[in-house]
Amino acid sequence: MSLLCANCGKKAQLKIQQMAFMLIAVTLFFVLIGMFVLVMKFSGLKEEASMLEEENAMLLATKIANSPEFSCGNVFGTTKIACVDTDKIIVLRENMAKYSDFWGVSNIEVRKIYPKSDEIVCNLGNYPNCNVIRLHSQEIKGTPMSNFVLLCRKDVYEGESYDKCELGKIIISYEGKW
Amino acid sequence: MNKFNMGKRGYLEISFGWLFALIVGAFILFLAIYFSIKLIGIGQQESDLKTGKELGIILSPLEIGSESVKSNYVTFPVETRIYASCDEEGGFGKQLIKISQKSFNKWTDTDERVGFLNKYFFSEEPIEGKKFYVFSKPFYFPFKVADVMILTSDEKTYCFTDAPEDIERELLNINQKNFLVNNCTKNSIKICFGAGNCDIEVNYNEGDYEEDSRGYVEKKGEVVYFIGDASMYGAIFADKEIYECQIKRFMKRTEMLAKLYEDKASFVSRVDCNSALELTALANQAKSLESSNDLNGIYLTVKDIKEKNELALCKLW
Repeated sequence: MSLLCANCGKKAQLKIQQMAFMLIAVTLFFVLIGMFVLVMKFSGLKEEASMLEEENAMLLATKIANSPEFSCGNVFGTTKIACVDTDKIIVLRENMAKYSDFWGVSNIEVRKIYPKSDEIVCNLGNYPNCNVIRLHSQEIKGTPMSNFVLLCRKDVYEGESYDKCELGKIIISYEGKW
Repeated sequence: MNKFNMGKRGYLEISFGWLFALIVGAFILFLAIYFSIKLIGIGQQESDLKTGKELGIILSPLEIGSESVKSNYVTFPVETRIYASCDEEGGFGKQLIKISQKSFNKWTDTDERVGFLNKYFFSEEPIEGKKFYVFSKPFYFPFKVADVMILTSDEKTYCFTDAPEDIERELLNINQKNFLVNNCTKNSIKICFGAGNCDIEVNYNEGDYEEDSRGYVEKKGEVVYFIGDASMYGAIFADKEIYECQIKRFMKRTEMLAKLYEDKASFVSRVDCNSALELTALANQAKSLESSNDLNGIYLTVKDIKEKNELALCKLW
């Protein structure tokens, strides 16, 4: 047997080597296809997640003024729609740690737009002589969605308190975490 | 012997290459089928999660502004099961939504649930169908706490009998197709305000205003208590476990809002706007609530705060 087939061992070794290379190539090919499919799938997923975040921010911008944490209720006479009680949210700003993630957005900003003046960010010390209340963070991050609202507060004139309402904007920004 | 062996070898002769290719081919085919099935499963889970998240988001406009009640519906392209459960853990608790849809005559299955901190759905678990009605009403305690959102499937019809006039009028005004008033059909679920042979019995005591009504709802031999019409609807349509959990979540938010109004009261006092409401007491009572049965214990505090705020020159809400 060994005399008749002297090269048989070498031939078999060569074939096994060929097969091993082929096997590696085929495996790599399928792994690459699998990775490609996964990348395609997850890039679509990221897009959908961002779209959902955008939709959430957009719908929230239209409705957040009616949330009990923001709304004027009956404080300034009759019930007002899309009215933000700034006395309430300036206090809310101080307790915002408890409300992190509550509305599922990265920042909420309330901005007085009329009468126009230089940007002054509000805190308990300078309120109401300011025009921007940022609830979540000091910087606006991500894409903003906004809606016009009425900004009302209690003020005092010659020792008597009265209701003061101005035109403002509520800006909701969502951060593309994806 | 040799002849016999040779003949047999010729009959079974498969080259090493063929054998190897067959084994590797079978292995690759197995892997391909295995991963395809896995991918389809992941795709279905992804679709269920996405639908759950979308459902929570698109219902945001149903939050109440100046109206007293709102109703709308959501339609799905395929048969859908909505599992709206509740988790009371954390500062505000969480509304959990799981969606399962019919695919190739089988219900998709996922353990993943989408969570919302600012939503409160009251329903049975699960509800099934293609068209779902969402009926929302604000819950006051004594300030607005949140909106009660009642989820029902159009496959089930609910019939209210002997309801107080205000409730009848409200139900007729919203014109929700699966809510009947007095004219019950054979298959409708009967909700009685008073004694009768009904699926759900409501013991309702009218108050001076709709947030002031009190009573209890008896369903499937279980009793839950309510204060105000909004929580009454919640008690009627939700499973006991879900209702109790959502009431606890309402109380968590009540506690937070009571503290917020207390801070606001001291803040606006700088402009001669003074109010003396027992908001700390309300926050403490809301925090210690164990079940809906304890709502009656907080009722007097809530009523007192409400009346004082209404009479105040400087209202807090």
